Amino acid sequence: MKFRLALAAFAALAAAVVLFGNDYALTFTIQLFVFVVLAYAWNIIGGYTGYSHFGQMSFFGIGAYVGVLLMLHLKWHWLGAALAAGGAGLALAVPLGWIMLRLKGPFFAISLFGLTRVFEAVSFEWDALTGGGTGLYLPPINDQRMLYLALALLCLGMLMLTYWIDNSRFGLQLQAIRDDEGAAEALGIRTTRLKVTAFSLSAVPAAACGALFAAHLAFIDPPTAFAPVMEVTTIAMVLLGGLGTILGPAIGAVTFAVLNELLWSRFPDLYYGLVGLVVIACVLFMPRGIVSLLVRSRLIAPGRGAFRRIAARSGRAP
Amino acid sequence: MTQPLLHVEDAVKRFGGRTALDGAHCSVATGSITGMIGPNGSGKSTLFNCIAGAEALDSGAVYLRGARIDRLAPHAICERGVARTFQLTRLFRDMTVLENLVAVAHTFSDRQAVERAIHAMELLEIPELMHRPAGDLSYGQRKLVEIGRTLMLEPKLMLLDEPFAGINPRLQNRIVGYLQKLRGEGMTLFIIDHEMRIILDVCDSVWVLAEGRIVMNGPPQAVRSDPRVIEAYF
Ligand SMILES: Nc1ncnc2c1ncn2[C@@H]1O[C@H](COP(=O)(O)OP(=O)(O)OP(=O)(O)O)[C@@H](O)[C@H]1O
Ligand SMILES: [Mg+2]
Repeated sequence: MKFRLALAAFAALAAAVVLFGNDYALTFTIQLFVFVVLAYAWNIIGGYTGYSHFGQMSFFGIGAYVGVLLMLHLKWHWLGAALAAGGAGLALAVPLGWIMLRLKGPFFAISLFGLTRVFEAVSFEWDALTGGGTGLYLPPINDQRMLYLALALLCLGMLMLTYWIDNSRFGLQLQAIRDDEGAAEALGIRTTRLKVTAFSLSAVPAAACGALFAAHLAFIDPPTAFAPVMEVTTIAMVLLGGLGTILGPAIGAVTFAVLNELLWSRFPDLYYGLVGLVVIACVLFMPRGIVSLLVRSRLIAPGRGAFRRIAARSGRAP
Repeated sequence: MTQPLLHVEDAVKRFGGRTALDGAHCSVATGSITGMIGPNGSGKSTLFNCIAGAEALDSGAVYLRGARIDRLAPHAICERGVARTFQLTRLFRDMTVLENLVAVAHTFSDRQAVERAIHAMELLEIPELMHRPAGDLSYGQRKLVEIGRTLMLEPKLMLLDEPFAGINPRLQNRIVGYLQKLRGEGMTLFIIDHEMRIILDVCDSVWVLAEGRIVMNGPPQAVRSDPRVIEAYF
């Protein structure tokens, strides 16, 4: 019930921005949506599966380039380009996940960061394709409302995907990997297959999102495509909102973006540091982020309700 | 003699310079309750780890119904009907007890999985723990949840590594009764425990391991009166 209420609130707010907002509000919201999608995507592998990593911008960046090249040379519509970028993300994620997900903990996290730097270097060097450091320019999209709508729907899709994961046995098995991969494997859970699936589920939206972001900017260059700041911001948002929770990524992204706007205008020199301090404080004092606070004060239900509800319905639960 | 369900041959496993298994063998007859005893550090858990695929043997072989299963991934061995518990429990600690059980059930619908989990929890007398996070449970309770988790898999062979440690005698007896019932329904059980009273009471056959080798095997009466076992245990 509360979930539907949240969906309705989201739809109403999103519509309000289009109907009553100015260009600034539209741009702010588009960029916020990009982060919401990235945060939800990262939460699947980093939050639910416990494979935190610093390489999501690989998919974002490659998606951005695939999208821009299709729009530029083949004159594709941004929507088709974004779908193709998602496909490219999948094609990259499956083999990459297969190889890299053998690594654990910091080794996995850092090697994916290294990989992103490799992609960045390649896109710098491969002038003929990427325009190198100059980047590639697209004819700008004047009316960005459809782009906005597409991103809003993508956010909604990520929220629903996460809701499903949280309430399914697929999600429980991802969390079993997070809690004790060896035990999960011993109990017949196909850990490799599940990890690659989770990795792909996080790569596809990130890549599609990269293409949409590039369409929004009408521009892409290596530092924008593979930006470490976006990587870190995404992860900070998930930690802030609540790792491995349904609403955490959205709450984290919105809180972070608002905080950012407030601090940026008032303390232009200090704002990065201040944002960092707020994130550190939140992670230290709320291990499951803002969501845990809301759950404790009974504003939202704890996650993974499906099995509790089935048990209650079976009539034998205590 | 009919083919045993499980057969281990010349199992050797070294950890660095330490030889945990030094040519151990054993077999478990279909439909039996088979026990394994041995002093601390004699290699019992290592043997289970090698059977379940968590550790790779340095040499030797494991056969399940005559087919080799060493070299298979743990999940593949599990899919062939072998489920295990861990001596030091390894529950999914951020999940509730119910979720721990439901997570490993692959073949049922969600509703069937939940019903099965509730059934298992009732048998183990822990339905009130259903929604408690596994990380909050006592040692004995965690042991019970581990047994419950293997029950979800409807295995042909259950490997139980010290299932009775830390569980009160009344519940121990109940679990024994329940394991015997499972055996009656066709399940085979292979149990490591230091609880001699139970091992000698319920097992059809007992293997005695010392320093990575089998030093004796036989029915409980024979094991009970063997001087080497008496020396080690009584
Ligand atoms: N992963 C490992 N790395 C190094 N040594 C190990 C490892 N696992 C077991 N050992 C060693 O192998 C030997 C056998 O250990 P194992 O746990 O199999 O004994 P056990 O018979 O189960 O003992 P207990 O009754 O205490 O459970 C011990 O000396 C132990 O220290
Ligand atoms: Mg042991």
